[in-house]
This record gives sequence, C-alpha cells and structure tokens, in this order.
Amino acid sequence: MSVNLVGTALATSAGLSGMAAAAALCSPVRVRVPMVGVLSALLGAAGLVAGGAALAGHGFSVRMPDLLPLAGISLQVDALSGVFLAVTGAVIIAASVYGIGYAAGPARGRLAQALWPLFAFSLLLVPAAASVSTLLVAWELMAIGSVLLVVSGDPADGRVREAGVWYAVMTHLGLVTILIGLVWLSAAAHTETFAGLRLAAAGVSPAVRGGVFVLLLLGFGSKAGMAPLHAWLPRAHPEAPSPVSALMSAAMVNLGVYGLIRFGLDLLGGGSRWWWLATLVLGALSAVYGIVQAAVANDLKRLLAYSTVENLGLILVGVGAAGVFEDSGHPLLAAAALTAALLHTATHAGFKTLLFLTAGSVLHATGTRDLDELGGLRARMPVTTALFALGALGAAALPGGAGFPSEWLLLQSLIHGLAVPGIVVVVVLPVAVGAIALSAGLAVATFVKALGTGLLAKPRSAAAEHAHEVSGTMRAGMGVVAAACVALAVVPGATAPALMRATAAALRGPGTSLALGATRQLTALGSTLSPLLVVALTLGAVLLLRAGLTLVSGRKRRRAPVPLWDCGAPPLTARMEYTATSFAEPLQRVFDDVLAPESDIDVTPHAESAYLVERIAYSRAVPDRVEHRLYNPVLHTVRRAGRAARALADGSVHRYLGYGFGSVVLLLIVLAAAQ
Amino acid sequence: MLSLLRKIAATGRVAEPAPPPPEPAPPDLAGRVKALRGSAQVRCVDAGSCNGCEIEIGQAFGPVYDAERYGARIVASPRHADVLLVTGPVTRNMAEPLRRTYAATAEPRVVIAVGDCAIDCGEFAGGYGVEGAVGDVVPVDLSVPGCPPAPDQIVAALRRVTGR
Repeated sequence: MSVNLVGTALATSAGLSGMAAAAALCSPVRVRVPMVGVLSALLGAAGLVAGGAALAGHGFSVRMPDLLPLAGISLQVDALSGVFLAVTGAVIIAASVYGIGYAAGPARGRLAQALWPLFAFSLLLVPAAASVSTLLVAWELMAIGSVLLVVSGDPADGRVREAGVWYAVMTHLGLVTILIGLVWLSAAAHTETFAGLRLAAAGVSPAVRGGVFVLLLLGFGSKAGMAPLHAWLPRAHPEAPSPVSALMSAAMVNLGVYGLIRFGLDLLGGGSRWWWLATLVLGALSAVYGIVQAAVANDLKRLLAYSTVENLGLILVGVGAAGVFEDSGHPLLAAAALTAALLHTATHAGFKTLLFLTAGSVLHATGTRDLDELGGLRARMPVTTALFALGALGAAALPGGAGFPSEWLLLQSLIHGLAVPGIVVVVVLPVAVGAIALSAGLAVATFVKALGTGLLAKPRSAAAEHAHEVSGTMRAGMGVVAAACVALAVVPGATAPALMRATAAALRGPGTSLALGATRQLTALGSTLSPLLVVALTLGAVLLLRAGLTLVSGRKRRRAPVPLWDCGAPPLTARMEYTATSFAEPLQRVFDDVLAPESDIDVTPHAESAYLVERIAYSRAVPDRVEHRLYNPVLHTVRRAGRAARALADGSVHRYLGYGFGSVVLLLIVLAAAQ
Repeated sequence: MLSLLRKIAATGRVAEPAPPPPEPAPPDLAGRVKALRGSAQVRCVDAGSCNGCEIEIGQAFGPVYDAERYGARIVASPRHADVLLVTGPVTRNMAEPLRRTYAATAEPRVVIAVGDCAIDCGEFAGGYGVEGAVGDVVPVDLSVPGCPPAPDQIVAALRRVTGR
C-alpha cells in the first residue's frame, strides 16, 4: 500500500499542532515562543505540502467514525481544497516565523501561544472537511481560536475587548446562518456527507436550494468580509496582534470564499442565475466601499482591513461571474473567471500577509498605527520600508506587483463575458468592470498614502524618530512572504495547471475537456499578459536610460552633497509635509455622500476680543456609515427588547412556576391540535 | 496671393543690425562662460534692496532691452539657475538664505552684484540690520555699479556671461 502524501502531511500537521500546543503549555517563557514558532512553521509547511500534493492531482479521503460521537469525522481533499490548504500553509509559515520576534507582553503567555498552532490547524481542517458536521466543528474551532487570539494582544484594553465582542457576535451569527442552511440542506437531501450531497442536491426543490444558498451567502459572506456584513473586520484586524491579523486577513477570510465555491458551485451544482448575480453585485459593492473607506482611513491596520474587504469583494465578483457564466452555458468563461478568483485569493494572501507583517513591524518599532504620527521610517527601517513598498505595489494592482495578474485576468474574463445574453447580465457585467477599475484606481491612491505618509518623508512624532529596524526572525518572516509575492507577480503562469485542476474540481464539468478548454482560454488571455516581460522591459528601459544619460553627459556622475532646497528659509519641518488626513482630503470630499464624514472646527476667540483667535481645533472622523445605519438600529432594538423582557423575570417564584405550567399546557394543546 | 509672396521674397529678412559683440569676460570667468555655451539661466535674489534695482532688472528683461535675445533667461529656482543676480545690501535676515541659495545653484555658477548697495552697501553701509556687501557673503564675479544701474548696463553684464 502506497503512502498517501496528502494524508501524511495532514496527519503530520495535526501532530505538530498538538506538540506545539503542549510545548506552549509546559515550557518556560524563554524557550516557549521560539519552540511554538518553529513547530507552527513546520505545521504550515505540512499544510503547504498537503495543498501542493492535492493540486498536483493526489486525492485523499478518510473517514474516522469514532473520533466524534454520532457523526464521526470525514476528510477529503481535492484540488479545490488544495488551493486553500496551500495558501493557508504558506501564510502560517511566514506568520509563525515572524511571531517569534513579535510576541511581547500577554501574547507571550501560555494560553496565547498554545492557541496559535490550534487556530492554524483549524484553518487547515476547514478546507479538508468532507461532511457537514466536520465542517461545522472545524468552523467553530476556527471561530473560537480567532476570537481568543484577537483579545490575546492586550485583554485589559477596552478597545481590544470591544473588538473581541463585535467579532465574537458576528462570527457566531455567521455560524448560526451556516448551521441552519446546512442542516436544512442535509435534511432535504437525507445525507450529510459531501459526496452524498453532490448526488442528492439535484433532487432537492429549487426553493429549498435557493433558501439554503441565501443563508450560506450570508454566513460565508460575513466571514469573507462581504459588505454590509464586514463590520467586524475593521475592528478585529487592527486590535489583534499583527501575526494574528495576517493569518485572519490572508487565510481565514478566504475560507468564506471556499465555502461559497464548495457549496454553491460544487455541491449545489450552480443553481440559478440570481444566486450568482447577487454574489457578483455584493462583491462589487464590497470592493468599492472597502477601498473608499481604506482611502480615508488613518489607522494603518484599519486601512489594511478595509483593503481586505475590497480584495475579497473582487474575489466574490470572480466567483459570481463564474456562476453566471456556468448557468448560461459558457463553461470556458466560467473556468476563466473562477481561475481569476482563485489566483486573486493566492496573490491577495501573499501581499496582505506582507503588508500586515510590515505594519506589525512599524507598530512594534514605534508603538503607533496612526499614519499622521508616523513618517521618516525609510532611513530608520530600510528593510521594512522596502518590503512594505513591495506589498503596496501588489495591493495597488500595478504591473510588477502581485495583485496585477489576477485582477487583469478577472477584468479580461468579465469583458469576454459581455457576449453572454440576458438583460440583467448585460447591465451588471459592465458595471462590475467599472467597479473593479474604480477600486483599482482608489487602491493606488490608498497605498501611495500609506507608503508616502506612513513610511517616507520626515518623522512626525518622537516615536517615529526613535524607530529602529526589527529583529532577524521578523525580517525572515517578512522576507519569506516577499519572495512568494515576487514569484506570484513575475511568473503567475506557473500556477496555471494547479488552478485549472482546482477549477475543474469546483465546476463539476466533464473533467478533462473542461481542463483542456480552460488551457486554451487561458493561453488566449495569457498572450496579452506577460508580467515577466513587463518587469524585464521596465528594468531594461531604466538601465538603458541611465547608461544613455551617462554617455550623453560625457562624464561620470559626481555626487556632491548639498542641502535640500528649502527656499533659503530655515530647515523644512515635518509640519510642512502631507499628512494622511490632508492627502485623503480631496478623496473624502469627492466621496462625501458615501462616507458622510464628521468634521468639526472649534474656534476659541481671545478673552479680550472676539476678533482675535486664540486657538483653532479641527477634528475629523469617518465612521463606517453602513455600521451606523444598519447595525445601530438593530442593536438599539435588541437592547430595548432585553430591557422589556426584564419585566417578565421579576424574581417571584410563583410567577416562574406559572410560566412552566403555562408552557406545558400550551405544548399539550399544540400537540393535541397537531394530532 | 502671388503678389504677397513676391513681396515677401523681394523684402527678405528685416532686422536691426547686430549690436557690437560684448566685452570679453574677465579671465577667471572665461572657463565658466565657455561651459555655459551662450545660455545662462538667471535667478534674482533680493538680499535687502529698496526695489529700485528690481525695477531696472524688470526693464532689462522687458521688450525694449530684451536680455533674452542674448541667451539670458529668468528662472524660478536656484536649482535651475547658472547665474545669481543679487541686489541690495545683505541684511542679517537674508545672509543665510543667500548662502543657501548660492549652495543650491548648479555649477558652474556666476554671481553678479547689481547696484551700488550690492557692491559696497551704498546708502545703507553701517546700518544695524546690514550684514555687509554681497562680496562679504558669497564670492562675486561681476559687478554692475549704479543707483540704480540702467537696464543696458545690466544687459551688458549678462552679455559678458553669455558671450553673445
């Protein structure tokens, strides 16, 4: 009997996760952090191997009926799971290595360190699940692990606690909708294994399937940061320790997309067109809303969290487009759109891990995330600045960055899809193309702001002035993921065979012919896109220009250090430069109606005359408008209902006995009527 | 139409006769004048002048005297300039900016002190706010005397730098 590589790797990662957790609980603090870091990185490597093997075509399936009462645990890994396993594994490696140098304060404690490998393993378990019960168990493990890790940074901090509460409530509401949807589906199909559901789903009535899909879209969408269910992201990501933010933002949110693809496209078999139009529209909305909020955010990690909302929105646009094309009988276009979505999942994971880790380094070195307080880090933290710039290039989707190939492919597949008939499609697709273009443009502005005001220029506070480069392990963690980003940016074509296998697994088409068709389609698209060539040409042009200039000027460049030209006045100060707020002000004005910013100018006149001004205070806040409009009324209603319900429980034993008696009588009446 | 063309052909180019060539630059300036090859970008620095010299410089670049036809051109930053036209006695507040401006000017650079005040503080010599003449602060290559100097004198000095 041959050894199954995927199974072995998954078993290894399970073992490593247990070992790391045990090591965290038992060892003294000095060896605890490095040991957990190394073991977790190995765990991630095992996940990467499992994912890679699955993408190379090795399948794996196992059923352990005794591991969990009633249902048992079933695991199955195909190429679609492989994409998410590999991405998650790679992110775990980088974040774990980085975490060795980063962990400080409460995050070095036993509990926080033990939770890290368990959370990492739960992330690997979700895409490997092969039954509804296994998926729900893994999903809940992931939710609990991430909630505890979010508050592990500084549980005494009020803002951290508030973020933890928001995240815990939202992730569990998401779990409830997923639970109801999946239980409903399993009951209707009389089976709970994925293999069984795949066969039985066609026999379930369309109304039930539609209802199940809506519930799953809400549940998985909230995990994927789909607007308007994104409210937890900009709260939880900034407050969590940076390696945790990286793991959540680059690996965990992807699993929402995985759930949607697995159930919507694979198990439910595509369904109706309105499912996917809804996904596409919500994705496009998330993309634009996320990046508009990111463009005006001043908190570096909040900005990155909103950028995650944007990118997951783009992925959802790809998934939605794939569903629409599949429904209208264009499997090649569907394969192209889904490939773009999966590629963007991988590239987004790459650059977002890099950005969160570098943001963590900035926070570690300066103690602040406020872009208005930063600046001047290029000279003090050259490695971090260079790597942040690399990540920002990817997030801005410019050629040479990691995000460019996938967004280009997504745009191409949508533009090719304009041939699909149907009046709604004809309206929605061009609007989606416009939304992607708008979000890409705003992403450039956002990351120019983050890099330009946050890391370049002059330091705007003492904290930024006394910053220092971070430790070796942190640089190693950032370096690993930076190398992956460069590889994805320069040779994205190398992932094509693996992604095609994953696409074929998700779309359930006639396997080989679809895969071959997708090759052709991709080759056709690929001919217009060669990132390697773009990078080589740009670099070549720059070198040629430089050589030419030296030749023309006819002498070697002599560098004489002269002071910066400051109009002759005493030296330029940090108060003269752009801040993040002032840089984003024009955008804020353009999107005034969307953002509804609250700005306030407070003028204090002099005591002796109203015409003399003593002090002007300007304050600005851009609250999340969706949160205000959508969540606050719900919260108020719940609070009011809770207060009203208090009247029912007044502490009288007689009354409680009466409630019990009344409900039994009511139940008997209902049962009698039902007979 | 044809008559117009014939008229143009018959008249030929009408221009004033070229003025006599400028005085050659002093020997220590000759190398720099050669390097500028007939084109000098000029930055004016008011180091404390009464604005009389500025008015005359304005005239020198106006349509009557038109220094630009000899290759001198006013620019907005010392980073773009080859020549500094400095006017006025150097006041205490302007001494450091003048030094910085000189440092910011691209090499080869030429400094022209315009007006009596720039040459020897003129009327303001010994004033409590005066640091000294331009030559006390930065090395001066050419001087244009007068209070204020006439525009043609300023143009003559610029022509010595451009060599045209």
